[in-house]
Amino acid sequence: MAEDLVLDTAIRDWVLIPLSVVMVLIGVLRYFVSKLMRSSSQSPDPKIIKEGQVIVRARNLRAAANFIPAKSFRARKAYFSNEENGLLFVPKGQASNPQAQMFSDPNMAMDMMKKNLSMIIPQTLTFAWVNFFFSGFVAAKIPFPLTQRFRSMLQNGIDLSTVDVSYVSSRSWYFLNLFGLRGLFSLILGEENAMDDTQKMMQMGGFGFDPTKSLGAEKDNLDIVQHDWALPKFEQRAEEVLRKRIAEH
Amino acid sequence: MAGHDDSGSSEKSLNGLPTFNAENMQNNMKAIYYSRTFMSIIGGVIAGILGFTSLTGFVFYFLVMAITSVGLIAKAGFTIHSYFDSWNQIIFDGILGGLMSFVLFWTFAYDIVHIF
Repeated sequence: MAEDLVLDTAIRDWVLIPLSVVMVLIGVLRYFVSKLMRSSSQSPDPKIIKEGQVIVRARNLRAAANFIPAKSFRARKAYFSNEENGLLFVPKGQASNPQAQMFSDPNMAMDMMKKNLSMIIPQTLTFAWVNFFFSGFVAAKIPFPLTQRFRSMLQNGIDLSTVDVSYVSSRSWYFLNLFGLRGLFSLILGEENAMDDTQKMMQMGGFGFDPTKSLGAEKDNLDIVQHDWALPKFEQRAEEVLRKRIAEH
Repeated sequence: MAGHDDSGSSEKSLNGLPTFNAENMQNNMKAIYYSRTFMSIIGGVIAGILGFTSLTGFVFYFLVMAITSVGLIAKAGFTIHSYFDSWNQIIFDGILGGLMSFVLFWTFAYDIVHIF
């Protein structure tokens, strides 16, 4: 179908390749800018980190509960969740809670805004740039046929209904790049870039994050764990194996 | 099914219990994801340069993914249960995720070589 439409080689040299290269470079730039912004506003609260670590330890205990004897498990459980001084036990009516939230709120909001801005601004700018310089080019041709339904998606900016659908306008080539380069970014920039979106979602969910609440939840989880030791005959088996070893020699 | 890490002879007493390290597991999954993405990009460029069109290209993509699967299994020493939960993870995970990258690089290489 290539004989339908002859594209100028200048389009390749001055539209297709520059557009892709710029998309890659902007992605790299965005990654480093967001990294710079993130590291500059690093002020972790030791109390919150401590509570987080306690939760992680309790979770590990819960996950590996069946690999320790019942007595050890009970001792550890008491350490975490007894009603007097257990690590997960939060006294009722803790006064510092709303204060702490107030304290941490503006920082978090700023952080999120920065992250959002570092995502949105380059995209808007690139899109405006593509629109301004490259609008109306038939920049590429995808090597497989598509139905008419894809016309508005792939020929955004060209108002010709007679052109074959598999020809792609420059603006749509920009969108193709936007989605398709994600894999390349995750390869050249490490996983952080790929995880960006999901991380942001997590942060959104945990915006009104209340550490004492998660401590209480973890305590409840620990309380309902059914302990069932997985290795009841462990010592006998070890003895058996060792005896066999000795007998072999 | 459990990935018996280093369990060897103690499998009998651990019957049915999941004994794997979540971090290592995640690392393995990441390795699969990276190799798939890499292969989809390389495969896209190759398909574009060779000038595959329409169905041939997609067949080529799935061929590349199958080769990747075989390569991963070979890398795991054909004992995938020491590294992964199940066969599905190593064979099917991330196949569709790389399709977008494949199409992009396929189009890019095809256009540069054949269209202009």
